Order: sequence, then C-alpha cells, then structure tokens
Amino acid sequence: MDDIIVLDKINKSYGDEVVVQVLFDIDLSIKSGQFTAFIGPSGSGKSTLLNIIGLLEAPTSGNVIMEGQDISGLDKNELASYRNEKIGFIFQFHYLLPEFTALENILIPYWIGKGKPPKEVVGRAMYLMERIGIEQSGGKYPNQLSGGQQQRVAIARSLINRPKIIFADEPTGNLDSKTSDIVMELLKEIVREDKTNLVMVTHDRDIAAGADRVIEIVDGRINCDFTVDRMGREEVRRELEHLACTFSGAAGES
Amino acid sequence: MKFNTYEFMVAYRFLVNGRSQTALIILGIAVGVAVQVFLISLMDGLQRNLIQRTIGSSPHITIAPPLSSPQPLGIGGDAIDDYPKPLKTEESEILSWQRYGDYLDGIKEITVAAPMVNGNCYIEKGRSSFPVIVKGITLPEADVIYKFKKNIINGDLRSGGNNVLIGVASSEKSGLQVGDTFYLRNQKGTGDYFFIQGIFDLGSSAANNMVVMSLDRARTFLDITGISAIEIQVHDVFAADGLAKELRGSFSQVKVESWQERNKELLSGLRAQDTSSFMIQFFVLLSITLGIASVLAIIAIQKSRQLGILKAMGTNDKSAARIFIIQGFSMGFAGALVGILLGLGMTELFMFGTKSSGGPTYELKITLTNILLPAVLAAASASVAALVPARRAAGLNPMEVIRNG
Repeated sequence: MDDIIVLDKINKSYGDEVVVQVLFDIDLSIKSGQFTAFIGPSGSGKSTLLNIIGLLEAPTSGNVIMEGQDISGLDKNELASYRNEKIGFIFQFHYLLPEFTALENILIPYWIGKGKPPKEVVGRAMYLMERIGIEQSGGKYPNQLSGGQQQRVAIARSLINRPKIIFADEPTGNLDSKTSDIVMELLKEIVREDKTNLVMVTHDRDIAAGADRVIEIVDGRINCDFTVDRMGREEVRRELEHLACTFSGAAGES
Repeated sequence: MKFNTYEFMVAYRFLVNGRSQTALIILGIAVGVAVQVFLISLMDGLQRNLIQRTIGSSPHITIAPPLSSPQPLGIGGDAIDDYPKPLKTEESEILSWQRYGDYLDGIKEITVAAPMVNGNCYIEKGRSSFPVIVKGITLPEADVIYKFKKNIINGDLRSGGNNVLIGVASSEKSGLQVGDTFYLRNQKGTGDYFFIQGIFDLGSSAANNMVVMSLDRARTFLDITGISAIEIQVHDVFAADGLAKELRGSFSQVKVESWQERNKELLSGLRAQDTSSFMIQFFVLLSITLGIASVLAIIAIQKSRQLGILKAMGTNDKSAARIFIIQGFSMGFAGALVGILLGLGMTELFMFGTKSSGGPTYELKITLTNILLPAVLAAASASVAALVPARRAAGLNPMEVIRNG
C-alpha cells in the first residue's frame, strides 16, 4: 500500500507578537486504505494537525505531500479546488447550509467543483442517502432534521465527490452515544465500500479502538503510535485503556 | 469572469432566506429609481414645455439683412418724396431671396423656410393711433412656424388683398373686431383701409400685436422691394445652433441668428436646472449605493459561517466574492424594475392630478432614456456597492468558522 499522506517536519505556530507553537517537527506517513484516529488531550494540537492534513491550514514550516504531490507550493485557490476534489469534510457540528435542503447540501461539493450536477451525480446522492438511511429527508432543510440525521447528511456530502480522504473532526462529538454508534458504523462501512481513507480526530475511546491506527498527540508531538496490523486489536485496546487522560472529560477542542 | 451556477443558487438562497432584508433594500432602490424617473421626466417635460413656449411659435433660425434694425419713425411724409429714393441694397433688405429659398429648400434638417416682410405701422381709429407690427407672409410656410390656423380664435384665415389677420392684443387695444374695416398708416405717412378676416392668439404679447397680411400686399404697403427676413423652422430645435453656423458659412452677406442666440438667458437657466437635477440624481444614487453596501456587509457577516463551510469545501475567493456581486446586482436590478414601475405610476398620477385640478397641463416626457438611465445606474451602483462585502467574503478564512464553531 502506498502512502496517501506524508507529513515532513511540520511546524505550526500562531500569533505575531506572542508566538505560540502548537506543532513540533511532526513526521508522519499515512497509508492508503486505513482508518486513522488522532487522539490527545484538549489543546494538544491534534485538530490543528488534522486541519493541516485537510489542507484547511498551511503549516508554518514543513511539507505536506499528498499522493506523491507536494501541496506546499499551491496557492489558496489551487488548494481550494484540491480540497474540493480530494477531501471530504465532516465536522463536529454538521455545518450544513441552512438555506439548502438535505439533498442540495449533499450535492454542493459537486456543484462547487464541476457545476450543475448531472443525473448520475444526483443518483449517487440518492444512493448515499438511502445507504445511510435518510432517503426520506432529501427535501427537508437542516433545521427540520435531528442531530443524527444532520450528521448523516454531512457524511453523504463528504462522499459525493468520491474523495481520497475523509476528514472527520469529532464527527460524533455532538451526538448521544447510541446515535454516535450508529453513525460511526455507517461511516466505517461506507468508507470501506468507497475504498477511501478516513482520518479522524476523536475523544471517544471506543471509536479510537475501532481504528486501524491510533496516533496520540501530546503537546504538539506524536506521543504514541499504535497500529492494529502490528500489535493486534486487543493490544491496541489495552494500550488505549492506559491513556486515561486523553479521554477524560467531554469532547473539547484543541 | 467565469460564473459557476452554484454561485447564483447560493446568492439566490441567501436573498430569499433574508427575505425582509432583501425586500427592504429592493424597496429602497425602487424608491430612489422612482424619484429619479419622475424627476427626470418632470424636468424634461418642463424644459420641453418652456422651449416650446419660447420658440414653438417663432422661427428657429432667422436670416436677415445685416442692417435690419428698425427704421426710425417719422422720416416719411411728402416732404422727402421729391428726393430720389435711396438705392435699395442687400444691406437693408434681402433682394435675391428666391435664390436663398431654393438653397434652403435643399437642406434636409429644415422643415420650412418662409420669406417675410415686416415694418412698424399704426392703426388709426378716430383720433387715436395704435402702433402695430405689420407682417407679410406666405401662408402655408408661415403657418408651419406661427400656427395661425390652430390659434385663430375668431374669424378665419382667408387673407389676401386687403384682408388681414390681427393679433388679439391689437384687437383689444383698438377695439376692432372681425368684420371691421380700419385704416392702417405706414411709416411714410401713407395708408390704406384693411378688412379684419380673423383674430389670432399666439401666446406672446409681441406676436399678438401683429397685423398679418399676404407677402405681396405687405411689400407694396411697406414699400419693400425684397424681403425683410427668411424665417426657418427645423426638425430638431437643438440642432438649430449648428445649422445656423453652417448657413453663416454659406451666406456671407446676411445675418443668420438661431433661437439659442436670441434666448441666451433661457438656455443658461435650463443649464442650471440640468446641473441641479444632476446633483439630485447623484446624491440619490450615492445613498442607494451606501444603503446596499451596508446591508450587504451585514449579510456577509451573517453568512460568514456558510461562506466558511463553502470555502472549506472548495469555493475559492473569487467565487465567494461573486456570490455577493450577484446578490448586489440582483437587488439592484429588481429594485430598478420596481422603481421604473413606481416612477411611471408617479408620473401618470402627477399628470392626472395637474389635469384634473385644472393647473397648467404639460406633458411629462417619458422617454426610454429617462427610464433606462436611472435603472441602469442603480443596478450598476448596487453591483459596485456589493464589492465591499465581496472583498470581505473573498478574504474570509474558513478556519475562522471551523475553529469557532
């Protein structure tokens, strides 16, 4: 399997006068076809790292290489169209556009990139809605949907352009545990079906335990890196039990 | 600039979503456009009316001999009849007027070129005498300029021989009526009896103090060999000035004068009016622009969350900006349309109102330019106003939205 993402000495600082460094020399490569979970305490820099992987933020120094292409040289607009084509986004809050129906929200990423969606794409959106059980809600507006339904729409939206990477920042952080389980299962299934890669930040130990690889970020550095392939799932789960601090407290932002 | 269809869709949804805001700003633009349409129509109508009144029943261009100043009275009489008459020259009369006439008939812009003679005379009635201006005309031509046929208030037009038309002012002064015969004395002291065929009212006191007879009768009566002037009416009154200049080049021996040169004060008044109406329009536009800019700026802030999401999903900066330009233009366009209707309504209402209240009725001039100009300007300024929020939208970093929830 090839590396889908390679991070090369990523540093990230904020501020002009008071400089706060949040990421320190991160080297990381993520293999294709994996579910990678980032965990870590609040303020550890894991969300920042995810945003850099998601091409939403530029690193202060270091290179991001995606599918063998160095992204660092792209300008803002090139990055935007790269994001549109290659990355599907699911955030903690659904971030649907309230002015558009569920179906329209799902189609928007296609529309942004390629213009008015043809029949096949609308068909795919319908299929995705059916697949994740919201086929009845296509004509509804986000505020007419439950939290779980909203997040399902967001999942369908992230998949519409058949992206290489699904970027998920605590996608279930705002859902109750039962809904959270259902949404997670769906997400994993559909990612497998679409042969795409899932990169996720989570505070949920159970979700992390279901990943192929778990990377713990503490104070802007990689603290632990567990791989199911190498250690076996049980061993990973046991290791995660010890990282109590990472999962303490409710979902917060880092 | 290449538009993507989703930009229109997003812009449309943003506008529909903020219905009341959108409606308010469209109404604001509409009122501005309506005021402008009405104002321009009013000003235009007023100016045309004023010009019509000033020059409607008078020649647009006059061709006169260089020494056409009024001849002094009282030099006539038998005493000087024994002296040889001074030689008639082109200095005081146009002798070869037929030649001018042929030339002028060939010019397309000219509606009519009418030969005319005039002179100061007196209506004698008992012991009193009333000064009048005698004017000799050829009827079909002169009627185009003076519209006697339309303005006859008593009697009819049959002039010829000693049948004459007199103005309503001289009729009132002298007490003469249609059917009366009166004695008219010329400057040389000789005179003749004339029969009043009709009385006209041309609307200006100078014109209403005329006695009008046929050209040939007037020439013998006033002892003029040529004619006093050629009066010209043109199709486009504002082209008179230019045409006069051209004619001046062709005819070096005569004096060519356009109505603009005779009415300098009127024209400068009209120009001042133009300036003030331009100022009003400018400030109305300015306030429209500022209004739209501020509302769109608010919309841009209200929608920054949506913009952030769109940008995360691949909307680039230009595209985000275009969403707001589209919104600005759409509101400007809709406002302009509503404004045109409102403005036309106001204009109709005004005309109806002045007509029914018996006030001075004059047509407000509704022309395509009067309607389209303010509408196009409003739509354009709405688009310009949208540049402010568009810049904001372009500069928005999606991370601001994502990070702050």
